[in-house]
Amino acid sequence: MKALQAHQLSKTYRKSKQPALDSLDLEIDAGQIFTMLGRNGAGKTTFLRIASTQLLPTSGTVTVLGLDAVKDAKELRGRIAMAPQEAETIYPLTPRDHVLLSLRMRGMEKGEATKRAQEALDALELTEVADVNSDWLSGGLKQRVIVAMVMRTDADLIFLDEPTIGLDPVNRRRVWDQLTRLKQSGKTIVLTTHYMDEAEALSDSLVIINKGKVMASGTPRSVKAAVTSRTTRVDVFDKFNLSELGAFGHVVTIAGRFRVLTDAEAAKRLGDEAVARNASIAISPVTLDDVFVDIVGEAERGEENGR
Amino acid sequence: MYYLGFTPMVRNPLFMAFVFSTPFTLLFILFVASNGTALPYGLAGALTMITTELGLFVGTDLATYKLQNRFQDMVVASPVSPLIYMFGVALSELIFGAPALLILFGLIAGQGATLGALLSCLGVVILLWITTTSLGFFFSAYAPNTQNAFIINGFITTMLSVLPPVYYSVNVLPSFLVPLAVVIPTTEASSLFQGAIGLGYSIEPTSGFAALLAATFIMLLLVSFRMKWRET
Repeated sequence: MKALQAHQLSKTYRKSKQPALDSLDLEIDAGQIFTMLGRNGAGKTTFLRIASTQLLPTSGTVTVLGLDAVKDAKELRGRIAMAPQEAETIYPLTPRDHVLLSLRMRGMEKGEATKRAQEALDALELTEVADVNSDWLSGGLKQRVIVAMVMRTDADLIFLDEPTIGLDPVNRRRVWDQLTRLKQSGKTIVLTTHYMDEAEALSDSLVIINKGKVMASGTPRSVKAAVTSRTTRVDVFDKFNLSELGAFGHVVTIAGRFRVLTDAEAAKRLGDEAVARNASIAISPVTLDDVFVDIVGEAERGEENGR
Repeated sequence: MYYLGFTPMVRNPLFMAFVFSTPFTLLFILFVASNGTALPYGLAGALTMITTELGLFVGTDLATYKLQNRFQDMVVASPVSPLIYMFGVALSELIFGAPALLILFGLIAGQGATLGALLSCLGVVILLWITTTSLGFFFSAYAPNTQNAFIINGFITTMLSVLPPVYYSVNVLPSFLVPLAVVIPTTEASSLFQGAIGLGYSIEPTSGFAALLAATFIMLLLVSFRMKWRET
């Protein structure tokens, strides 16, 4: 069953000539964690805002949980929840107040809301600061408060716009655990992130968008396999120059060193050559990060050449 | 209302002091400068100004929840209707002002106002509050950032409750300014308060009340047509 279907979805903001979304088609299965990847301004937040009934599209349709996000918004709003990007806590409320406010405004009875608020605070390790003025919390704690606000709602589908931004690796994993638990309880999670490891670790399926268009979609593994035959990456630290490495595959310069994206056979040849030169290299499978840079970079290069 | 009104008021009573500060300062200045004789005008003015502030603060709050906290995004994507949200935020703001309003009603009663006069003051407060709250809603939808929302709020508060005949009688204005003053709802409200306190009505009460009612209706209409819940 599909939790979300977008068909030819476009959005052009009034003061912009470029579309934020450009005839976007995508489908999300129910009970999945679905991730949207893209550069800043790629259209991820615009999509989330349209699907969560906050913004009207210019054209196209979005069906969420079988309901039209434009025509059936009122009915749909009872079944979704949203944690927006860069949300801030409200002074002088405490983390507990925030979670309770979120649950109570959705019509949850006080006793149940109190119980669930405690669960959400415990799950995100906010118990110790549960009754502290949110203004005194660190940025990471505040971000967890925002996530906690939607964690224990009755919503069937939860939108999270960059939910782990500003969190340290330990707390990012804590949020991942909770999102996985939500999925196991039958909820659908749609999130955006800039962290490729997060997308790879969490997502059942994902989409890479660039300038409002879908560049690739599928499972993390299928996206990696489908979009590139370059399955291996070789980080070269010394004793090679750019033109030499070009013979082994696609070369990317990262912080003064070279990364060669290539297939296993060429990686082996490069490895042999490195041994012969006594060069330092590291060989590993390509990550989603490499694929993302490859896809988005390729699209940008294509546009530049077309000009 | 509990989380956005009562809780902040208890945790930070400065919110309340802020509501009190300007209207009561002007009241004090009038009282001292007139040797006490202008106290009734001061009371009518303070009641008008506090009610106006409470309505307009709603706009600042909404702009903050929308642009800074992004709380409104969470509300839109929830079963809460725009009307309930706005009503909740408006009532939350009213909680901050309730002590000030109670003090003013007490002082007005102390000036010998009858129960009927106090009830009519209450009716005017409600109408003016709806009018200025609607105005607050309206500009919050168009404020590009919270800083602008604060600036607009301060500007409109001054334009509505300090400059027009709110702390003074419309009769002392030069005649060419009177038509301009009487189209401002705070002028009508203050005139009705002044009448109820026993200063005499500078605007005929029935027409003043009708004008205030019309302003309330127009502002509500404007908000219902122009208020942005879902962005375009």
